[in-house]
Amino acid sequence: MIADLPQIIVTGLALGGLYALMASGLTLIFGVMRIVNLAHPAFIFISAYITWKLFTDLSIDPLVALAVTMPVMFVFGMIVYKLFFAREADNPRYIEITVLTTFALALIIEGVLGFIFKGTVRSTNPPYSQQAFFIGDIFLSRAQLYAGLIGIGLIAFLWVILQYTRIGYAIRATTQNRSAAQVVGVNVERTSMIAFGLGVAMAGAAGSLFSFVFTFFPGGHWEWLAILLALIVLGGMGSLPGAVIGAYLLTIASVFVNDQIGFKWGPMTFFLALFIVLMVRPQGLFGSKIEAT
Amino acid sequence: MSLLEIDGVVAGYGRGPDILRGVDLTVEEGEVQCIIGPNGAGKSTLLKTIAGLLRPRKGRVVFQGEVLNGLRPDQIIRRGIAFLPQERSLFPDMTVLENLRMGGYALEDKSLMSERIEEAFAQFPILKERYKQKARTLSGGQQQMLVMGRALVLRPHLVMLDEPSLGLAPQIVAQLFEIVRGFKDQGMTVLMVEQNARQGLNCADRGCVLDLGQRVFDGPADGILDDPRIQELYLGTQKKAETS
Repeated sequence: MIADLPQIIVTGLALGGLYALMASGLTLIFGVMRIVNLAHPAFIFISAYITWKLFTDLSIDPLVALAVTMPVMFVFGMIVYKLFFAREADNPRYIEITVLTTFALALIIEGVLGFIFKGTVRSTNPPYSQQAFFIGDIFLSRAQLYAGLIGIGLIAFLWVILQYTRIGYAIRATTQNRSAAQVVGVNVERTSMIAFGLGVAMAGAAGSLFSFVFTFFPGGHWEWLAILLALIVLGGMGSLPGAVIGAYLLTIASVFVNDQIGFKWGPMTFFLALFIVLMVRPQGLFGSKIEAT
Repeated sequence: MSLLEIDGVVAGYGRGPDILRGVDLTVEEGEVQCIIGPNGAGKSTLLKTIAGLLRPRKGRVVFQGEVLNGLRPDQIIRRGIAFLPQERSLFPDMTVLENLRMGGYALEDKSLMSERIEEAFAQFPILKERYKQKARTLSGGQQQMLVMGRALVLRPHLVMLDEPSLGLAPQIVAQLFEIVRGFKDQGMTVLMVEQNARQGLNCADRGCVLDLGQRVFDGPADGILDDPRIQELYLGTQKKAETS
């Protein structure tokens, strides 16, 4: 019936990994600290610009640049946490403060990026960004494939850290019950700082991949914010598997809409999904209802 | 020297009023001490202050000769004081086994941890049966067993329990107080807050009455149970008004 269906699914699966990676940090940061990080896409853009700079000035491949952007953004994330959020944990206005702070951060980052890199639309173009595989009639962009595979690989890496390491136990414990984590001896402040750093490191990795899959300009992060929020709301805010499944579902759906209805309608898919989820199942697919603490 | 000495501790929440208004209290090595008193007397606040969740505004908390004021909760637990709060502080999406492992989070020696998890399983066979289940799927009684099992994994020097019997069925409450006595036999010192004053004191060696943020009485547990004035004021017919 729909001749393009295999193509739609292949494209959706390839892109989904990158979307999932972008959303993973956002959901981790929300899960552990209850911070809706409105600056998350702006963090992704910082990394995309670093990658672009390394590529144009030093011809460093974006995939290699990952090794720079991830640690840099990890440290950057921890500094941001220490500066803006560490002291607010007990503030009764925590939600308002964190929302406004991340909003302000996003604006500042946009301004600084615009000042340094101008408003020109950028993209990195390593060789593979123009190449594709053909499986029969199905077209598969190498850029999308690489980004998708690395994205999902990094999420698996994050998941292993969370499941099996000491800091992973501490992060999960803090996510599920902050006061209980405290009474078993977890330093929740330090754990939060590291979790924030990990989330921003994921944004860093996503930015390097983003740089050769999409185009970017300083103000472009707002559109991505809406998309990423839709993904994690569908998956259940704070849930990593939820973010991954939400990302794949909505990416495939938006590719489908692009293909069948028209390019202008693709982004609408995310917002429509956001509305429907909030009306029908506000806690998302994998989320638990947040209890008042 | 007592194991734990509280000297004139004043504490409260945020910028709110003082809840503890100069509490003095001692806990001796190896005893089970039960704190009773009406709602709002500051019983939970006292335990939270010792655990480092609240900072004393005045006074000192001294454990084994070391002043604990100003230490973080994770530093205090490493000094050997564990706190089991009123709300069963479990990790709902972790399995029973993972919850027990979290109990040993503060342990330096990880081989000791698996050994003690085995001992906890031996004492609470129901936990062993359900070790793969998520904590959220356990019944209230089983969840309390898991909290107790977790304390066994850490085996702190001093364990503080805040209303462990809250919300449990009567037959489980009896079992619970046996477990608390068991803590003592395993070499732990217990400081417990109980609304269920009679049963709490029955389980304890020594009792202490807290009212309006101050200690008004302490002595051997059976002495408190028999004291006519305390009976009337704090044990009596439990007619006191619910203030919270």
